[in-house]
Amino acid sequence: MTRKITIDPVTRVEGHGRVTIHLDEYGQVKDSFFHIVEFRGFERFIQGHPYWEAPVLVQRLCGICPVSHHLAAAKAIDQIVGVDPVDLSPTATKLRRLMHYGQVFQSHALHFFYLASPDLLFGMDAPVEKRNVVAVAVENRDLAVKGITMRKFGQEIIKAVAGKRIHGILAVPGGVHKTFTQEERDYFLDGKNIENIDTMIEWSMAIIKFMKDYHEKNRKLLDEFAAFPSGHLGMVNDAGGLDLYDGKLRAIDSEGNRTLDDISTDLYEEYFSEAVAQWSYMKFPYLKKVGREKGWNRVGPLARINMCDFITSPLAEKERQEFIAFTGNKVNNSTMYSHWARLIEVLHCAEEMKILLNDPELLGNDLVRSGTPRLKGIGIIEAPRGTLTHHYEVNEKGMITRCNLIVSTTHNNDAMNAAVKWVANNVISRSGTITDGMLNQVEVAIRAYDPCLSCATQAMGKMSLKAELYNYHGDLINEKFKN
Amino acid sequence: MPKLVNIIIDGKNIQAEEGRNLVAVAKENGIFIPSLCYYEHIEPPLGTCRVCTCKINGKFGPACTERVSEGLSVEVDTATLKDTRKALVEMMFAEGNHICPACEKSGTCDLQHMGYELGVSSTRFQHLFKDRLIDFKPTRMVMEHNRCIKCMRCVVDVKTSDGKRVFNYQNRGNETDVGIDYDQEARLTEEQAVNAMRICPTGAIIVKAANMPEPFGDRKFDLVSEQKNYNAKEKVTKHHQSEMGKKKIATVSLAGCFGCHMSLLDIDTEILDMVELVTFDKSPLTDIKKFSTRCHLGIIEGGCCNSENVETLRYFREHCDILVALGECSVWGGLPTLRNTIPLSECLEEAYLNSVTNEPGNHIIPYHEDLPKILDRVYACNEIVKIDYYIPGCPPDANHIWKAVKNLLWGEEYSILYSEFKYD
Repeated sequence: MTRKITIDPVTRVEGHGRVTIHLDEYGQVKDSFFHIVEFRGFERFIQGHPYWEAPVLVQRLCGICPVSHHLAAAKAIDQIVGVDPVDLSPTATKLRRLMHYGQVFQSHALHFFYLASPDLLFGMDAPVEKRNVVAVAVENRDLAVKGITMRKFGQEIIKAVAGKRIHGILAVPGGVHKTFTQEERDYFLDGKNIENIDTMIEWSMAIIKFMKDYHEKNRKLLDEFAAFPSGHLGMVNDAGGLDLYDGKLRAIDSEGNRTLDDISTDLYEEYFSEAVAQWSYMKFPYLKKVGREKGWNRVGPLARINMCDFITSPLAEKERQEFIAFTGNKVNNSTMYSHWARLIEVLHCAEEMKILLNDPELLGNDLVRSGTPRLKGIGIIEAPRGTLTHHYEVNEKGMITRCNLIVSTTHNNDAMNAAVKWVANNVISRSGTITDGMLNQVEVAIRAYDPCLSCATQAMGKMSLKAELYNYHGDLINEKFKN
Repeated sequence: MPKLVNIIIDGKNIQAEEGRNLVAVAKENGIFIPSLCYYEHIEPPLGTCRVCTCKINGKFGPACTERVSEGLSVEVDTATLKDTRKALVEMMFAEGNHICPACEKSGTCDLQHMGYELGVSSTRFQHLFKDRLIDFKPTRMVMEHNRCIKCMRCVVDVKTSDGKRVFNYQNRGNETDVGIDYDQEARLTEEQAVNAMRICPTGAIIVKAANMPEPFGDRKFDLVSEQKNYNAKEKVTKHHQSEMGKKKIATVSLAGCFGCHMSLLDIDTEILDMVELVTFDKSPLTDIKKFSTRCHLGIIEGGCCNSENVETLRYFREHCDILVALGECSVWGGLPTLRNTIPLSECLEEAYLNSVTNEPGNHIIPYHEDLPKILDRVYACNEIVKIDYYIPGCPPDANHIWKAVKNLLWGEEYSILYSEFKYD
């Protein structure tokens, strides 16, 4: 495209994510872009700092999922002090896992209740004043209270092990710095001060039921809206079961064929490459072997449910089986099923937390291990939004000399662009004028991926979008703020 | 028998042994004189930081170098003195690069402690963002010059077993820094090295592979103030008692991580009560993209790292009666200012050209008319527009935020608890 557009910065408001759609002379969509507009430069400015500062420094990438960054960095730094995941003490592993499940639990609850539920409850064309969590609370107070309380439970788990809810500290090189006390543990079991873990499991099931009812009524929408083939990437344990904290990388294509066959996370750089586009600060990762065009993968709940053989906890596994039965046990490539998959993971996390909270080893005193120092460490974790990679290299003095981060949402870059294209082609193309409802559909498609552009760069589920329509001369013909 | 003398501190008659240190005497009598470089067993006291400045017999001077003598008259708790001491601490924050969230000494740092005690929620001086060395050459230590306040404690107090000094002042004037004798440093025992880390009032001397061992809340300066009646109420901008009634709030995250917004939600179900009192206008929590009306309060998370952040911040200033900087990034730039000492081109090259997973031969760095221009450095919000109120923290505690919001909107009684005052 040879057109040239001038953007006046004054018109840019809240531009964390920005969509541009380009039309030809017949009003047909020629192209569309989902631009990520912020850049912070962590990979460079962490250089020169001591490696042990990394887990607390890099978690400031993101306030929604700081635990993921904290733990991915911690896993990488473990290797630098010579400790692989298997060498960590059982107590340290379990405390970290507990924190991680708490984090995924709260993050998914946040996304579903605070951000996504208005679209499901009120529809994509609902008036703007309806589309927020406050309106959900007015309409369905019980749902809102459940959602808020579930997020609270996850946040309280994090606070109990890391000292505070956001940007706490648990991990130190080779382990954790805190013993979990019986009193702290009982807080989550006895139900005296907060709803207990059994209630969380019960409510998780209730929310899945809510989603299944919605699916009954809106099957066509969920099946078709922003559906497109893609690869799916995630992490599994040795038996092929879903593992959010540690395991091997697996990817499948849209038909279910393995494109990445349970490789060690330490080898990621042999398999992944990242493309750069002129029009976005977020990169585009893909599998080298498959190539730039088809080698990109969705990550996150839908991808994980697609690529794993089973889920390790029984109730969630039952739900997974029901979920995949709808696609005849084939890969599910429908964007909107991400919401359902996310809720199955909510249940999975609640079940795993219950197991850990009842495990006496959680209260152990063996916290930190050490080994022979190395100059390179790679930590990969399944963050709420997908596969998260932290890679550090240090010199023999302990100074970080190199850092490479592939943040979950980055993997979804191509997928989100494909989702935007789908809405552009199927909803906006040849429609003449843009309505508010159409624009919200663009957002709904992006929102299903729960993008965390704070990490990759910036923003959050309810991103502000500004859509502009250009004619084939490149002139602005219609412009509308979603408002 | 030591001789007892009579002195007066803030009008209070006190008897003390002649020749004793004024800061220590005041402390024993329940009077808090802030001090930073002062360290009990260093004799004579250093007097370098001036944070203990008082009016002594009518003249301004450091209390830590003053010996108690008959008839000594000292003023400690006056508005001018408090402001002077606070300004001195603010200057130290502005002069170095103090990133509490990523510092090993956070929670046990004397500089941070003084910030809390004196209620430093923002600095009135522009941060210098000097490019300072992190020195990995020592054997046992890492010397973090970004955090050094040149108090001289280590210079006079850290010695090898045979009495050789390890640290020394070098250069002059504002170029002065603390150098290390690497040979002597290598001769320190592990215990001596750990002691050097402990004696440093900030995180400038770090023993290698030191962790952050104390959980939040259990750390030395987390919960209890040295002042008996710690009350930061006077630091709060008191607004006129305004009518009750629903108020409009707008929020935005600029170059932040969204953690402050998450903390806003961390009052859990109380948010359902809050929305009876306030409505959210333009905010990432709603679908409202442009101000639909003028707002009583604008809450800003994050500093400014690109042209769009600047425009958005100005847009908020235009449409909000009161503007609050929420969190470290918004208050003074925060952790993202780590890039302020590095050329932007290097940051971009590292991300897009040199990363291990980049395509070999890639020469594209994002640059597009639909992308905002990245600024040369990260700016604090108050460098761009007037900010009315600051809430420090990374992120600030949820209850602290909502207390402040209520105070600003309805002028309710309010005081910051010491335990709420945090930079990390």
